[in-house]
Amino acid sequence: MVKIPVLKSVTEANALLAEALRARFGQQDVLVLNIIASPGAGKTTLLERTIEKLNGELRLSVIEGDPTTSLDAERVAAAGVPVVQINTDGGCHLEARMIQAALEQLDVDDADVVIIENVGNLLCPTGWDLGEDAKVVVASLPEGDDKPLKYPMAFATAQAMVINKVDLEPYLPAKASVLRQNALLINPDLAVFEVSALTGQGLDGWVDWIREKLAEKREFQCTKCP
Amino acid sequence: MHEMSITQAMLDLALEHAEGHRITDIYLQVGRMSLIVPGSVEFYFEYLSQGTLAEGATLHFETVPIEITCLDCGRRADLSNLADEPPRTIMVEALARACQCGSKNLRLTGGTGFDMVSLEVRD
Repeated sequence: MVKIPVLKSVTEANALLAEALRARFGQQDVLVLNIIASPGAGKTTLLERTIEKLNGELRLSVIEGDPTTSLDAERVAAAGVPVVQINTDGGCHLEARMIQAALEQLDVDDADVVIIENVGNLLCPTGWDLGEDAKVVVASLPEGDDKPLKYPMAFATAQAMVINKVDLEPYLPAKASVLRQNALLINPDLAVFEVSALTGQGLDGWVDWIREKLAEKREFQCTKCP
Repeated sequence: MHEMSITQAMLDLALEHAEGHRITDIYLQVGRMSLIVPGSVEFYFEYLSQGTLAEGATLHFETVPIEITCLDCGRRADLSNLADEPPRTIMVEALARACQCGSKNLRLTGGTGFDMVSLEVRD
């Protein structure tokens, strides 16, 4: 019997590939966001509105993850940006190897921002690094204001939280202020935006955050230039 | 589904390190906030390892407690003394409390991983 020390994360193969992707995105000065939310939280609608706000100013590309269908990719394509659909065939999250494969069909050389819409799920996607600069969690008010307590890792690993569907607050028992408070308890560093992707309310703060993250990344890159 | 892909990743890592030897035991550390269910990993492992050099190997799980760190004074608390409580509840309660130094600037810093410590193989 021989004992072999390993001392590695079980998902090390994914982490190594994600780091390679991160280096590639870094060389191209592309900001990469990994959007995580429950099914129906409004990820795709938020994407459509974000594209409307930034199109013409920044070059966006989108990678769509869904168990099946290309319905979301069709919506994003209609909004006028390059998009690739990944179908996981029932798989509950995206992995770095899927992003690598998607990049064969998506030219990101000229992109400023790549937005990855993960599979609708608040659990599994948090454990798989895709080479992103930031995870963004979208939580919609009709889901309830206790989601950060039930699914803490989605909020603990994110840099920003978009509270969506705040226009429905008058009709719901859930409160945006409570959702915000619960999320900040899990992760005090979260940037929080209260929006309605449907009405457009509050979206300016969110798109400003994307601009700032891109500027931060490019500034960081430049200080390392020879 | 979640554990199936993570179990495949674990099996691949084990086979890579075993370098062609038959694996008898795999020692794993599971963070209490890792969202990994050991019973589910065992279930998928039995299926996924069929026909590989890891077929029939025993999985050993060691639980790693949740760790909270105070960013102001650097004090770390591991919540292992509360091991019987549901992990999400104890984490939320710990984060809601202040550190002994009075700070509420607390972060979750441990107990989120799923790591392979070692393997045992036959010569």
